[in-house]
Amino acid sequence: MYPGGQLRTQLERVAVAIAYGGAVLGLGLLPALFFRPAGQGCSRCPDNLVGIFNDPQAVQGLNRVGIQLGLVWALLLVVLLGWRLVRSRAATRRLIAPVAVPAIAYLSLVAWSFQHALARGFLSNDTLDRRLWLGQAAALVALALGVCWEWVRGQRVRSALARLVVELASSPRPGGLATALSRSLGDSSLTLLYPLPDGRRVDGSGRPAEPEKGRAVTPLVRGGQPVALLVHRHGLLDDPGLVDEIATAARLVLNNERLQAEVRARLEDLRASRARIVERGDAERRRLERDLHDGAQQRVVSLALSLRLAQLGAEANTDVAVLEEAEAEVRQGLAELRALAHGLYPAALVEEGLGAAFQALAEQESSPLSVGRLPQGHVESRVEAAAYFVVAETLKRSRPRRATVNAARADGRLVVEIDRQLPEELTDLEDRVGALDGRLLVQAAPQSGTRIRAELPCA
Amino acid sequence: MRVVVADDEVLLREGLARLLIEAGFEVVGKAGDPDQLLATIRHTRPEVAIVDIKMPPTHTDEGLVAAEEIRRRDPSVGVLVLSHYLESRYAMRLLQQHPERVGYLLKERISDIAVLTDAVRRVAEGECVIDPTIVSRLMARRRDTTPLDQLTDRERDVLALMAEGHSNQSICNQLFLSPKTVEAHVSHIFSKLGLRDASGYHRRVLAILAFLRAIDG
Repeated sequence: MYPGGQLRTQLERVAVAIAYGGAVLGLGLLPALFFRPAGQGCSRCPDNLVGIFNDPQAVQGLNRVGIQLGLVWALLLVVLLGWRLVRSRAATRRLIAPVAVPAIAYLSLVAWSFQHALARGFLSNDTLDRRLWLGQAAALVALALGVCWEWVRGQRVRSALARLVVELASSPRPGGLATALSRSLGDSSLTLLYPLPDGRRVDGSGRPAEPEKGRAVTPLVRGGQPVALLVHRHGLLDDPGLVDEIATAARLVLNNERLQAEVRARLEDLRASRARIVERGDAERRRLERDLHDGAQQRVVSLALSLRLAQLGAEANTDVAVLEEAEAEVRQGLAELRALAHGLYPAALVEEGLGAAFQALAEQESSPLSVGRLPQGHVESRVEAAAYFVVAETLKRSRPRRATVNAARADGRLVVEIDRQLPEELTDLEDRVGALDGRLLVQAAPQSGTRIRAELPCA
Repeated sequence: MRVVVADDEVLLREGLARLLIEAGFEVVGKAGDPDQLLATIRHTRPEVAIVDIKMPPTHTDEGLVAAEEIRRRDPSVGVLVLSHYLESRYAMRLLQQHPERVGYLLKERISDIAVLTDAVRRVAEGECVIDPTIVSRLMARRRDTTPLDQLTDRERDVLALMAEGHSNQSICNQLFLSPKTVEAHVSHIFSKLGLRDASGYHRRVLAILAFLRAIDG
């Protein structure tokens, strides 16, 4: 049945069988066997060549059966079509209505004709019959128009697909498939999602995404596996053939984009894992810094106090001298502990942010650093930490010549620059910056020769 | 002189108290956290409270917060904050709150009786005390050109002492100079650095520290 062209249920098959059977046997062939025009008093009528013998009773009986069967199949088909129309989804209903409604009208008129003929016992052509024929003809014309409309619609879909193919050939950039599809299908809200092997769904750029609520989702299936999900407005892809055709037309691009999305998602996973590693490292550094302050340093200060108290109680000069020496050592140790703690993770970075941390770095013993421009406000602490360590480590690794650090925020990035001789080892700093999706650049600088520039995305 | 000692580390607190007693101070109270400290001060009315910067509950800057509260409740009580941090920003914060009768001393100095007693006495007398290491590090920062270059060596000595919180009289004593000479140095320094002569001694310390932190080559 329309539009598939196949009878799907037993009932449909029965109805069509009755229609053919009733019309061919009940009303056509069998009565003809028993009808002799001459026997009916029409001497000038040509003889019925298939007529076996004249039996008006049999003709009448067969006609009646044929008409009854006609009534049955016509009504059955009306009910079936109506049922299908009512039971379909709104979109499918829209699709089949131009054909189904004229068909129902036609079949109803046919049923009416049979009903009208039932009392009479044979088909004839009285006034009502003629009017019904006119109505049936009109319904058939409408049916034909409906089929034409469907054909035009199909053409439009095909030309949309053709546009899609052309567009795909010319725009292979990532995420371009969704744009091409939305343009060629005429749904600007259309998006494409790709299911990953681990069950997540990502968009063309590899970012996790889920279909919005209340939107239609059509899977594009290849080899029994959904390779992509089309998220679109309801009714856009109700033509069952269209989805397959899209999947076929876009196969290459679809595969390409799906693989790219998968790779991007993997890269994002890696980046996130790298960021977590750096963050864990920083958290550990912070913890060590605190432990040094609250534990070791306190103990050593106590020790210095004890030594001093022992000096006060000591009687022999030699004892005092030894104790003084010990105290001096302890104090030296304290200074080293303090420098170590500061190098691990400066408290200023946690408490007041990048500006204070640079300032503290510049205040360090014989620090070559001057603090130049600084950004207003704060950015995320992990971004500030990365910026800080790029500068602190660069200073540590190159010759102690003066350097100025400048930091600024622009276009959603924190940019930190320091002019230094190029350190030999930068990999760990590149890792740290890369973990935040940033870049570490080494550029030529007018005076010092090298400018180290970190660009860090920040909210 | 009546003092109160606050530190959450018992060994350190007791050691410090003993040292202060040896040095002739009267330790009228000891505390392990800010609440205890404030209560002790209310009861004992000391001249100076010696407070560790890190105390419970968070072990970050409770000492600074407590110092502000002590100064707010009773401006006659001086506060000497002891810290492991050799950073000028904490000292600045302390000065910005109530720039008199406060001091910021590195914790590792407390075993040096002379430094400790001098700091406590100066705070009790109403001066500010900024750890000399912090000042010398600020002065020693490498800069290409700086207004500090215009100062004579003597003037730099005077500037450092001013930044450490010494009064003119105290500077006279330290450098063996006459009050007139010190006054002349001070006014030269202010005009050379382009600093407006901050009204009053306490504002002067703050202004100089802010200046030293801000200049860059």
